[in-house]
Amino acid sequence: MNRRKFLGLGLGLGAAAILTPATLSATNFRETNKSAFEGPKSHTVNDAMTELFGTSTTTDSKEVKLKAPAIAENGAVVPLAISSKLNGSTVAVFQDANPESLVSVYTVPANGIIDYKLRIKMAKTGTVTVVIKEGDKLYSASQLVKVTAGGCGG
Amino acid sequence: MATKKSRIKAKEKKGVTTAKIMAKHEMLSYDEAKRAKKEANFITYMVAKVDGVVVYESSTSQFLSKNPFVSFKFKGENKGKELEFTWIDLKGNKRTDKKKIK
Repeated sequence: MNRRKFLGLGLGLGAAAILTPATLSATNFRETNKSAFEGPKSHTVNDAMTELFGTSTTTDSKEVKLKAPAIAENGAVVPLAISSKLNGSTVAVFQDANPESLVSVYTVPANGIIDYKLRIKMAKTGTVTVVIKEGDKLYSASQLVKVTAGGCGG
Repeated sequence: MATKKSRIKAKEKKGVTTAKIMAKHEMLSYDEAKRAKKEANFITYMVAKVDGVVVYESSTSQFLSKNPFVSFKFKGENKGKELEFTWIDLKGNKRTDKKKIK
């Protein structure tokens, strides 16, 4: 897919997203921070992070725990585990192996615990970065995942 | 598109509920869809509620694996209550499934 087509597709999708009625009370980051998910600013981790949080300056923290395989045999299923004792409000997962870098954004509810597991696709070897927002500060952890077989068929 | 039931397991232990959910969805990214000559479609938003209170919320992209599995924890005395899990995909399909917390 060339860049022009890709952007056009993004615009079309954007229109569709706006038409979808917001029936749920909570935040859908795909609507409020759409540019972080798709479009020209979504391709690199730094750009997407800036679109989402307003800054890409993060502090590496041991309080952010990311568990990912060092070598993933199957890039279609890369299991991740994220946990933290930080009193974070937002948790975001990025990687730099796919065309767009943002994978998932969690809003931590009042009674929630930051202890998430998910499985993602990675087209090639890349770094997974988790960012937790606590107050005004961003804390992060990242890990390199070597992918031996591509998840996006690549 | 007919949607399939999400598999939900939720269990409370000492005031902490652990939920494991597998949503049935193809999660076709743009690249994959192009190759398969289908339209891209993936879950963009997931939310879980107990008694109408949000306990889990995520906005997701095309890079979650097929039939995405998610696991999360939350506090509270929730034994016997119903966990309500909803996902919405790119095409606007919506699916809500319920399961009692054990």
